[in-house]
Amino acid sequence: MQTFSGLVSVLIVFVWLGGNQVSPLRPICDLRVLEHFVREARDSEVIMRGCRGGCGAMKSYFVPLTSVDFAFWEHIDVHEQAVEVQTGLSLLVQALSTAMKAMSNSRLANALDNNISNIHSLSQILHSLDLQARSTVLPDDSAPTSSQTQEVSSLPELLQVQSSFLRGKVRLLLSAAPACQRQNS
Amino acid sequence: MTKMRSNRLKIVFMVCLAIVTIGGQHFESKVAQLLQDETEHIKCFVERKDLTCFWEERNHLHHQYTFTYSYENKNKMACAVSSLLAGNKTIFFCKLPKTPFFTTLDVQVLRDGRMLYTRSLNAENFLFLDPPQNLTVMSSGKEGQLNVSWLPPPLKYMDDSMIYEVRYAAEGSNMGKVEVVKVSTMLVLLGLQSDTRYTVWARVKPDGVAYKGYWSAWTEPVFGVTPPSDVDPLIVLLVLFIGLILCLLSLTVILSHHKFLLKKLWPDIPTPEHKFPGLFTVYKGDFKEWMSQNNGSMWGRSAHVYTEELPSPLEVLSEVSLTSHGMSQREEEEEKESERSDSGLTDRWRDPPHAHWLMEQLRALQENPESRCQSSLLQSHDTYVTLNQGDNEQQVYDVFEETLPLQTLFTTAGTSSLSTSHSDLGSLQQSLGSGRLSSRSSFEYPNHTWPHKGPGYAYMAVADSGVSMDYSPMSSSRIAELGRHRMYTNDYKNEICPHKWPLSGQHIKSGSESCTGPVW
Repeated sequence: MQTFSGLVSVLIVFVWLGGNQVSPLRPICDLRVLEHFVREARDSEVIMRGCRGGCGAMKSYFVPLTSVDFAFWEHIDVHEQAVEVQTGLSLLVQALSTAMKAMSNSRLANALDNNISNIHSLSQILHSLDLQARSTVLPDDSAPTSSQTQEVSSLPELLQVQSSFLRGKVRLLLSAAPACQRQNS
Repeated sequence: MTKMRSNRLKIVFMVCLAIVTIGGQHFESKVAQLLQDETEHIKCFVERKDLTCFWEERNHLHHQYTFTYSYENKNKMACAVSSLLAGNKTIFFCKLPKTPFFTTLDVQVLRDGRMLYTRSLNAENFLFLDPPQNLTVMSSGKEGQLNVSWLPPPLKYMDDSMIYEVRYAAEGSNMGKVEVVKVSTMLVLLGLQSDTRYTVWARVKPDGVAYKGYWSAWTEPVFGVTPPSDVDPLIVLLVLFIGLILCLLSLTVILSHHKFLLKKLWPDIPTPEHKFPGLFTVYKGDFKEWMSQNNGSMWGRSAHVYTEELPSPLEVLSEVSLTSHGMSQREEEEEKESERSDSGLTDRWRDPPHAHWLMEQLRALQENPESRCQSSLLQSHDTYVTLNQGDNEQQVYDVFEETLPLQTLFTTAGTSSLSTSHSDLGSLQQSLGSGRLSSRSSFEYPNHTWPHKGPGYAYMAVADSGVSMDYSPMSSSRIAELGRHRMYTNDYKNEICPHKWPLSGQHIKSGSESCTGPVW
């Protein structure tokens, strides 16, 4: 799985490099890639449930908000959605990296590392869809909870937030990407 | 005017009631199903875009139920509680406005201000959809196929996360099949029976990646008829009729030539039983006994023994003086071994003569070429047949008079058609006299060297099977016919070159395939 996401990342990088020099990136509209990442995030939750004693990762993390109100969401501009998604992905990468450093269970640590790679690949996919965040401001760990973040006090909650974020906002953004709508039409 | 208004209001009310009733049927069926399947106190499901939670209580009067929910550390929010009567129980339910998805919802039920039930859940994991709409079954025109199509759930962001099940069965059959379809809203049913009415149902469920939930109820059954088979029944009948005629013709041919076919495919295993009457039936295969009983009758029997075989001509390899060596002379070991079937007779044979004596006889024959010519092809030193009645006088044969070695045989047997006979007969013990056979040999005549000495010249034709021989006199015409065929021994090859006779002194070996003289 790690190899798969790494391969996707490499491919995206090559396409991006080639695209920068010659032509624009080819949009990646297949949602099966995201579904793959969602399954791997769920695998981390399963491993976490089997981890006795918390596996040494007892810490609070700042994570993005994941709730989606469909009525409200569809009225938001796609680029605002992209900013929100990219910001949330950055927060998740930070939180997962922090948790992985303090992880005593090697299996869970590998799973977290895989999740981080997947999130990096998602950022590249958004870039291929021309949905990269124009400006991403990462909140400081010491900053109070903003309207776009929330604080969780355990790693299981962090992993649940990751899973919900990918299934919700990230998926909604990818499925509604204008580049993919142009392809389908 | 007021009457018209009131009538309109009544109509609207009835329509609304109908709509509510229809929706209520779906709602009530879902509630009924979850009441059976869900174990949590608070049972929740998302019907379209809103989460509905309900719980069941006995008919208690004067209790105040409160339903609250919260998510993402926000303040608790209240939800209006409604109730439905279901027999002796009451269903309380609450429909969350603006249900937040992809976040953990904490719901609570309070009775009279006290916590009764609580639950944490994600709304996107409890989708309970309505059955697919507009289920249609149409014939595709191809044999054994039906096209099935339906509409996806009217959910904007969820329609690509659905999985469908299509169930179909022939009308009147209890055995149905289920096909699973992902995302797509159409299916082609294959392998169906022709000209058959089928019943089709469908249901839907989230695929479990982004959204999860329960299987919807089955749709109302929809019927479709498969097209009839392409094959024209008239053509089928014609083909069957022609096939039947061909079968009858082939049967007729087979029956009319069944004997020929049977002979070719299942030939009879040849058995010598008919040549040895009573050997296997009376004497149980005891040849000695049979010979002793049939000593006198064998020779006198007219030989219809080889009806299927051409008799092999005998070749007289040498002539020996019977006075010197008695009645029976034995062949060399090689010839004896080459004819295994005559092993029963070997004990009656005497030892072969010495080589010295043989050479003398050869020289004698060489010195007298006339006799050789007369003896022509039938000459034998050691291999000869003595067919006598046990009278030693008759057994006296001069070598040079051996041009008619069997003359006595034929004379004794009463056959007068033979004037000369030269033969070294096969391995059968003769029925005349002692019936002892001195030797065995096989003979071969080159095609063109078969002597024709007139109609009176007779030859002993020996059917060389190793077990019997044919002593019937043969006419020259028959001999000529035989002469056209090259005849071989059954055990060893004995090619006799024309004009090359043992009297020439060539080395002879049994079994030799070279053009040498015969073996003795």
